[in-house]
Amino acid sequence: MLRLFAFEVYKLFRLRSVQLGLLAAFLLPFLWALAPGLKEVYGLVLASGWQVVALSLLAGMEFLFPFLVVMAASEALGSEVAQGTLKSLLLRPLPRSLLLLAKLLALFLYPFVLLAVSFLGGLLAGLPHGLGPFYGGTGVGAGGFAGVGLLLPPQALAELLRAHLLAGAVLLPLVALALLYATVFLSTTASALAAVATLLLMRLLVAFPALTPFLLTTYLDLHLRPEAAGLGLPLLFIYTLGFAFLAALVFERKDL
Amino acid sequence: MEALRLEGIGKRYGRKPILEGVSLAVRPGEVYALAGPNGSGKTTLIRLVTGLAFPTAGRALVLGEDVHKNPGARRHLGAVVEAPAAFYPYLTGRENLRMHAHLAGVREEGRLGEVLARLRLLAVADQKVGSYSLGQRQRLGLAAAILPRPKVLVLDEPTSGLDPEGVALVHGLLRELAQEGVAVLLSTHHLQEVAQYAHKVGILGGGRLLDEVALSGKEAYRLEADPPEGALALLKTLPQVRSARLQGRALVFEGDPEAALRALLQEGYRVRALHPQRFDLMAYYQERVKHA
Repeated sequence: MLRLFAFEVYKLFRLRSVQLGLLAAFLLPFLWALAPGLKEVYGLVLASGWQVVALSLLAGMEFLFPFLVVMAASEALGSEVAQGTLKSLLLRPLPRSLLLLAKLLALFLYPFVLLAVSFLGGLLAGLPHGLGPFYGGTGVGAGGFAGVGLLLPPQALAELLRAHLLAGAVLLPLVALALLYATVFLSTTASALAAVATLLLMRLLVAFPALTPFLLTTYLDLHLRPEAAGLGLPLLFIYTLGFAFLAALVFERKDL
Repeated sequence: MEALRLEGIGKRYGRKPILEGVSLAVRPGEVYALAGPNGSGKTTLIRLVTGLAFPTAGRALVLGEDVHKNPGARRHLGAVVEAPAAFYPYLTGRENLRMHAHLAGVREEGRLGEVLARLRLLAVADQKVGSYSLGQRQRLGLAAAILPRPKVLVLDEPTSGLDPEGVALVHGLLRELAQEGVAVLLSTHHLQEVAQYAHKVGILGGGRLLDEVALSGKEAYRLEADPPEGALALLKTLPQVRSARLQGRALVFEGDPEAALRALLQEGYRVRALHPQRFDLMAYYQERVKHA
């Protein structure tokens, strides 16, 4: 299983969407650090390099990071179908659920790698602004970017690490959802579009207040609201498990 | 026990039947060729046999185990289901095979070199598969299929895309594997070539198994004797002759040629020629498909 998982990780990081995604996640902070309209749009004058890290996370989680993980999950299965390699894997005496599990575990790694790369890019892009103590906030802690006074580097680091880990947890159900659609459609494009469409549809359900606390989309900004993690994290976990279970169920009897 | 057995296997997509009630068996050491026009269901049958697709009726057994209920049954199975076989283009041929060896539970490192040599791929084994020719990929597919020493080999158009040398290599390999006791099921359009060593041919048409022709023991003889009508009547009375018919002015029969010749000469018939005539599988196939 370990070798199968390692092979799936290797294949995942060979995918074009994954390589482009990592490049974008690394370069995005440099773009934000140089953006001339930050004050007009966010009311922010960069006071510290830590804020660049947060800014990249906030901007990425708006659409780019969810889209990238959905694309990766869709392509992980879709590209194997298109290349024909999935058939040759399934000819081997292994349960289909095991192959899918290895793929899913590898995909679960991707959001965290993506966020780590964004974090690293943010740190590098933020270096000219300094990473020492500063008056203000990281943007993902108390007081937002304005902060509540002097913020020391360890506090800033802790706030940003927590926000990135929560963002990673937010992306996991999206991975599982895209993989579920990939098993249904066996196509990268169809699966990615279906996953994005599902999220957009879920967002519309905000008009039903009774449903809102249970919607996946309610927690897509959990990295900004760590106080909601009590309900949000278990719910995200249930969504992830549910989508993964359905994907395994579909894949088990899927004709190839 | 049959190495491979299909029991009334069928496949429908919605209300459209693709295959209906196909039953066949392949014994160890037997080569079974599936023939049929495009769209007759050959590839669907191969996908069902290998467990890639699920039947809507019937079952497929490999050494008595249902491939759709027990994935472990595929440990006896080697297969190439696409032409050319699909591999990861960014890995070398050897790396691709190593991955397949791991998934198939093959532990001997020497086995990789063995199959690469057998398919004459050693020279390109350490090149990326992306740079392989169509024929090389097809041969690598066969190498991957025989890697775990399968007892049942299932191949969809194994000679597709190969040059004459490659075709001869594949036919030679299949013949050898059959002699080693491997049951081979293959789909093909190249009936004449496969007829040289196949034991049975299944003719598919419209999603049904129209006919099964046993090729071994299908040796026929062509006889020219005067008068042919009388000679035919005599041959039909002989217990050593299984079937006899007129073909133009000659007689074609199956059975013991010496007994037939002796009887004709005793009765005073003038025999001008007697020689073996191979069963014309192609003509039979065309006739069978046409009438279907």
